[in-house]
Amino acid sequence: MTATVATGPGPAQRDRLKHAVALILPATLFGFLVAAQWQGQQERSTLAVRYNAPLTDAAFALQNEQNSLKAQLQDLRKRLDAIQANAATQSGASSELEGRILDLKVKAGLTALVGDGVAIQLDDARGIAAGAKDLDKSICHSTDLTDIINTAWRGGASAVAVNDQRIVSSTSVYCVGSTIMVNGTLMSPPFNIQALGIQSQLLGAFDDPAQLRDIKLRRDVQGLGFRVTRASAIHIPAYDGALTVRNAIPR
Amino acid sequence: MRTSAGGVAVAVVALFLGVLAVAQFRSQDVYSRSLQLETPSSLTTLIASLSDRNNSLRDEIFDLRLRVESAQDSVANGRGSLAESERQIAQLKVFAAQSAVRGPGISVRIDGQFDERAMSDLVNELRNAGAEAIAANDQRIGPRSWFGPGPAGTITVDGAAVRGPWTLKAIGATDVMYVAVTRTGGIVGQFELIYPKTRFSVTKEPTLDLAAPAAAR
Repeated sequence: MTATVATGPGPAQRDRLKHAVALILPATLFGFLVAAQWQGQQERSTLAVRYNAPLTDAAFALQNEQNSLKAQLQDLRKRLDAIQANAATQSGASSELEGRILDLKVKAGLTALVGDGVAIQLDDARGIAAGAKDLDKSICHSTDLTDIINTAWRGGASAVAVNDQRIVSSTSVYCVGSTIMVNGTLMSPPFNIQALGIQSQLLGAFDDPAQLRDIKLRRDVQGLGFRVTRASAIHIPAYDGALTVRNAIPR
Repeated sequence: MRTSAGGVAVAVVALFLGVLAVAQFRSQDVYSRSLQLETPSSLTTLIASLSDRNNSLRDEIFDLRLRVESAQDSVANGRGSLAESERQIAQLKVFAAQSAVRGPGISVRIDGQFDERAMSDLVNELRNAGAEAIAANDQRIGPRSWFGPGPAGTITVDGAAVRGPWTLKAIGATDVMYVAVTRTGGIVGQFELIYPKTRFSVTKEPTLDLAAPAAAR
């Protein structure tokens, strides 16, 4: 009769285990350092550190300058309005022209408006990983904004603004890299779109399943932020940019 | 000998794990938008766009200062401000798309499959290039114009079906608009990839006549 007794690894096996364990830690650390160094090099060359800082400063400086120029333009427009209003009190013809100017200004989006309507918020999905497979579907694009503005007009909106930029006949929604510009103004999410109009008609247009299919699908699948709510006493600012009319002549 | 071979195997696996751990960690970095993260190329484009806008604003400020002075003098001399009012009306009629207009520009002819979203994108691109007045066939595009799908071969513009082939006419700085839409990688180039059977032709036009919107006629 032979009895076997369960024993632990022999001295040779224990030695091998010790060697292996002793190698795991430095090898893992080494792998970590190699990968981190490699990716760090890639990022540094991509970001082109040397040029980005002055270019970013220049972009911010130009945006600040634009805000100041717009304020000057508004001031001059108010001064001209005051002169014309004064002249209108002295002459019937001036008064009639003053009425036509005001009517055209309302149609052009040069007057601020207050009223009921809907508020739409569009935002990137929360906490998306930078290397996510569906990153493109999880973030806002300029075409999402043009689609939303199109739906608002379709729903009978009388005025629309995106992050306080009034949408007018010269408005373009422009995308460079991940930065979006509306009326030449730099913007980033969340985008707050305000549309003035009959609430039931506007909500009907946004709720229509045939409208904004792509945005609604990305909201449901990727978590894109998209919400439409009724809003009261919305303030839509006047357009404050240039009225560039150099080539078109009215007939 | 066995110890050495086992150790090497463990080291290789551990090295691989280290690389994987970094890759996984990096993929968990949260996406963020920041001007600082844009490429130098994108930043240069943004700066050019901001500069153009600011130059337009400066031009208008200069022009408006002269107009304010002229109107002040005119009112002070008892002549009223009729000339300034008429000038302003002419400018606003164009800007609000409330009258028929004439001027130089470009036309973009689209013959074949196309859709309302592409039409909206093209209008957006033309506006970005400084178009002052736009029409799709004979339908004038206004500040509140919208585009929708229509019956086969048509695109709905402001509720009216506009049948293809479509010609978008845009009055503005001809060369700027032409380059903007035809440049390599530009909107027409993208359309040619998306709609390979559709023909796109862009031409410079010395004079374009665009009708007033139906509501303003």
